[in-house]
Amino acid sequence: MILANYLVAGFVFCAGLYTVLTRRNLIKIVMGLSLMEGSTYLLFISMAYRAGSTAPVLVSPPAGRSAHDLVRGNVADPVLQNFCLTAIVIGVAVTAVFLAIVVRIAQHYRTLDADRIRELRG
Amino acid sequence: MSVGVTVAAAGSLLPVPVALPLTGAVLAPLLARVFKRLALIVSAVALLGSLAVLALIAPKVYGDGGGVLAHYMGGWGPVHGAVLGIAFAADPFGMTFALACAGISTLLVVYALSELGGLGERELGAYACLFQLLVAALIGSALTADLFNLFVWFEVAALASYGLTGFFLERPIALEAAFKIAVLTTIAAFAVFVGAGLLYSGDGALNLAQLHDALAAHVGTADLVALGLLTAGFATKAGLTPFHGWLADAHTAAPGPVSALFSGLMVNLGVVAVGRLAFQVFPTSRVPILGVLMVIGIVSALTGATLALAQDELKRLLAYDTVSQTGVLAIGLATRSASGIAGSTYHLVNHALFKSLLFLCAGSIVHRTGITKLSELGGLLRRWPAVAAAFMVGAASIAGIPPLGGYVSLSLIHRGLTESHQYVPLALMLLAQLITIAALGRAAWLAFLREREEDYEREQPLQPGMLIGLSGLAVCCFAFGVLPGAVIDHVMAPAASGLLHARQYAHAVLAGSGRLPPVSVVFDYTDLTELTIVVVSLVLGALLAYGYLLRSKEPLPVRALRAVHTGSVNDYAAFVVAGVIAVIAALRWAG
Repeated sequence: MILANYLVAGFVFCAGLYTVLTRRNLIKIVMGLSLMEGSTYLLFISMAYRAGSTAPVLVSPPAGRSAHDLVRGNVADPVLQNFCLTAIVIGVAVTAVFLAIVVRIAQHYRTLDADRIRELRG
Repeated sequence: MSVGVTVAAAGSLLPVPVALPLTGAVLAPLLARVFKRLALIVSAVALLGSLAVLALIAPKVYGDGGGVLAHYMGGWGPVHGAVLGIAFAADPFGMTFALACAGISTLLVVYALSELGGLGERELGAYACLFQLLVAALIGSALTADLFNLFVWFEVAALASYGLTGFFLERPIALEAAFKIAVLTTIAAFAVFVGAGLLYSGDGALNLAQLHDALAAHVGTADLVALGLLTAGFATKAGLTPFHGWLADAHTAAPGPVSALFSGLMVNLGVVAVGRLAFQVFPTSRVPILGVLMVIGIVSALTGATLALAQDELKRLLAYDTVSQTGVLAIGLATRSASGIAGSTYHLVNHALFKSLLFLCAGSIVHRTGITKLSELGGLLRRWPAVAAAFMVGAASIAGIPPLGGYVSLSLIHRGLTESHQYVPLALMLLAQLITIAALGRAAWLAFLREREEDYEREQPLQPGMLIGLSGLAVCCFAFGVLPGAVIDHVMAPAASGLLHARQYAHAVLAGSGRLPPVSVVFDYTDLTELTIVVVSLVLGALLAYGYLLRSKEPLPVRALRAVHTGSVNDYAAFVVAGVIAVIAALRWAG
């Protein structure tokens, strides 16, 4: 089952990358980057998965498990889940900045075509 | 060593140099409402405070051949060699970068007080906030010993840099540049993020020291892929070829002090991070990372220098020279000899000084005349001798003319390459240096030395803050060239030792503090070979510049390189992705 997660993460990542590399619409480029970002969350959550594990909350063990099980480490990896939380927060900020830039570009250039916005080159 | 604080107290002070600019970043927009210049004044105070705290810690790090201090946030120290908490660790290599950041950024703020002081209160508040966030992120990345924390500082620096690039929102090119830097840096951030996650899930550690211990035992394929992703991600921040698409555009669009901050300091975040990963985390003897770094460094040095030669816009020329100089830094690290690494660290400081100086000169020219193109400038030597003198000092330092700093650091890197018998890289690096001299000589001729008939439409006087910024940096350029013995013995040799002795570094980080074994780096000011190299490259560089000025059309390599830099964000993203794949493939199969 977990293999499906990796496959989906890989597929979403490639779809996002394909969008970034081939689409000229600035909004689509931002969407592509968001897809790539989302796929890394799926990847990390899947890497944090342990078969038969519980959520990484070490305070009160769920029914059928003792605190001993938790201490032995049969929990999903909390560090990788923390990675995702941090990255989600950063991702929101980055997307906001992106969209602010795109709105300004649309106001100034009256276009969203990346190929018509390349004064700086060479 | 008797001066100052105990080792434990110095360790507990480590987060302060980061906390001060962060506090300043919060206060600046608020204080700007009271009195707008207060935003910049509070920045200068915060950064000076940061510098003072770093200077207080410095003797413990540099003394007696070098040492390492570590501090675990919230007291989450190592238990049986396993670390859960975030560690800050000051080693001579990172400390040198942190000190350069705090010192130079203070001068940049003083300069900005004059050049940008006329902006509105909201703009100044936002500018001071972003500026300090970026500096805090740079100091944080220099001091951290935790891979995920390094990623967070990378992102803080990235977000601040997007804002600063698009700072002059009324200029459309600033928006274009901001979009490009945002796309490329975001892709780089994914690479760093996934790399860090892969290393963690493979080796169960994020602390650099603990990772070193895990990787010393075994390096698997996943670790190599992670290293490739991390190297590519940080190389994007460093502006190394082929990851450099954002760099020239961002520098062209940003105001002078921001370009100085980007080129002088921000790109070094990438270099320092790559240096740490290559030496202190991965075993250099079993992973071909230094070979990869050498190739990237040489390609960057040549590409950057060639493109710099062809630019008509002064700031763009300097930006491409930054690509070339970070390439030189990578070459120095890749020598794996004490001289080369010490030279690279030395060059990092020198580059921060002379490139900030040159960008401030360029910024003040643009600010005072409103002209950005070299073909429209001229006669500035007679009109503004102070700016001209500052520019000449910076250019001479890049060219490696004694007694300026560049001579010492470039000589050390040459010596490192000779000691490790890498003569082909040495020849290519000398070629890049020659082209660099030609590019800057051409710029100096066009902007300052040649005559200009008509007067400039706009001529504003040089204000005191600008003068302090320019003269402070110029004096430092001289100081680092005149006192090489003391600087090498007390700063650069310990820095090289910290990178070369990864085991001792790891041990010290986990133990909370420790000493590094001393290494000796020899530098001879009157080495005849080096002096000959300087004279010959100056003559050939001048001839090349002369030939380029008289040319009928652009030579083929220049045309080809410029044609590749299409300005399309899709193309630049493709270069980055190709670079990531190439680096991973080289690490996997070249070993």
